[in-house]
Amino acid sequence: MSEPQNSSQPGKSITVDGVSKIYQSRGGGEVEACRRIDLEIKAGEFVAIVGPSGCGKSTLLYMMAGFSAPTTGQILCGGVAVRGPDIERSMVFQNYALFPWLDVRGNVEFGLENKGVPRNLRTEKVDRHLKLVGLSEFADKHISELSGGMKQRVAIARAFAVEPGVILMDEPFGALDALTRRFLQKELLRIWREQACTVAFVTHSVPESIVLADRIVVMSARPGELKSMIDVDLPHPRDSTSDGFRDLERRIYADLDEELAKTFSAEGLLG
Amino acid sequence: MREERGLFGHLLPYLYAATFIVVVWQLVVTLTKPHVSLLPPPYLVAQGFYELVASGQLFVHAGVSLARVLSAWFLSMLIAVPLGLAMGRSRLIERLVDPVIELLRPISPLAWIPLAILWFGIGESGKIFIVFIGTFFPTLLATVAGVKGIEPHLIHAGQVFGCKSQFALFRKIVLPAALPSIITGLRISFGTGWAAIIAAELVAARSGLGYLIANGMEILRADQVLVGMIAIGVLGVAFDAGLRYVGRRLTWEGAA
Repeated sequence: MSEPQNSSQPGKSITVDGVSKIYQSRGGGEVEACRRIDLEIKAGEFVAIVGPSGCGKSTLLYMMAGFSAPTTGQILCGGVAVRGPDIERSMVFQNYALFPWLDVRGNVEFGLENKGVPRNLRTEKVDRHLKLVGLSEFADKHISELSGGMKQRVAIARAFAVEPGVILMDEPFGALDALTRRFLQKELLRIWREQACTVAFVTHSVPESIVLADRIVVMSARPGELKSMIDVDLPHPRDSTSDGFRDLERRIYADLDEELAKTFSAEGLLG
Repeated sequence: MREERGLFGHLLPYLYAATFIVVVWQLVVTLTKPHVSLLPPPYLVAQGFYELVASGQLFVHAGVSLARVLSAWFLSMLIAVPLGLAMGRSRLIERLVDPVIELLRPISPLAWIPLAILWFGIGESGKIFIVFIGTFFPTLLATVAGVKGIEPHLIHAGQVFGCKSQFALFRKIVLPAALPSIITGLRISFGTGWAAIIAAELVAARSGLGYLIANGMEILRADQVLVGMIAIGVLGVAFDAGLRYVGRRLTWEGAA
């Protein structure tokens, strides 16, 4: 906490300590979204969280962000308990969540302004991050004039510009076409390497998790528990046709297939 | 990318509509030959229009009506917008206020005219009260709808990117996100307020366009009635267009 924030800082750690989350459903019943999750994300690490839909992976991410509190257990960021949303844990949302009343520059500047960064420094940081995502020429454009891929690049610039300790990403490329997605994955890795910070990345795409992450967390079907933890030791850029990549894919799919079978049989769709 | 039409392009549909109405009107007069105190031909009304403009009377009456509507409209905005923002964000406030609103809302502002006269006489405050009733509900409902329609992730993004207090969240996220809806509500409520003031002036006033019409009826001057009606229509359209323009300028929905 005492160290000054700068871009060479390797980010902050995230500790998920015995976290369970139980929701009150509309019908009055209880839904257990996550069950006894223990997870340590090291400072500067890139962790992907994969799992069947409804497994509570987004719930876990939203608890890391501080939008909702765990029912039991606690979440620490840099050793300090998370008590609500904070700019030290910035976020990239699946549907971009850009502010349509601001232009591209205004969106990237938003967090910096709230952080109290002085104007001249703000302009410099915005320019640098727009350049980083290749949108320097679009600074004055309105959000509605951008394509989906460009919007997500603005959202990435907004998240990195505040120089957070952690970036939480909730299926950020889920709504994009395959080519844009591939391109943005590379971009993200480049920016992440340039500006070291911790990343927790939720996705339902196994290949995406292998392309990006240092470590992959596989979650079980609801209630979401930690199913397995897989280190990815392949060198970057990762070739999805290599044997190592294929092996990992097979392992993760094997784990997921087991869980999917549970989900479907619970829903009465399988014998 | 909006296509640029220019002022003439914007006026063209209105010119067409006005021509259409005048032609039908002249046809009715030619075919049915009504008494001039019932339906005068267009040229006589044009003459009456000229006289009321030349004497400055039309401007006085229009100015009085507009001043009443604008002050009441502004006053209702000052209360309805903050209340709507609070209702849109807080379940508790909504549960407390909404039933009261829903009970009062179906009562037309015109139904309040007798009470307004009893309470305030025929002075300005009664008129302002009537227009306030007429403009309050559309503004309030549009504001509530605007706030409730905010994409939840925008609120999340606001919190993540440093809006620490509820006040900051209101100022930087809730208000700008709901603004297009609020402006639409203000535009609609100006229309209902404009209708309400004419009605209030018809019943109890010594000035204003509503009074001009009522007076024309009493002295059997249908041309004066029609001049008043035309002024009401033209001013109503002009203000609506002006508010539309301001709305596009102020909000992001018209930004692209």
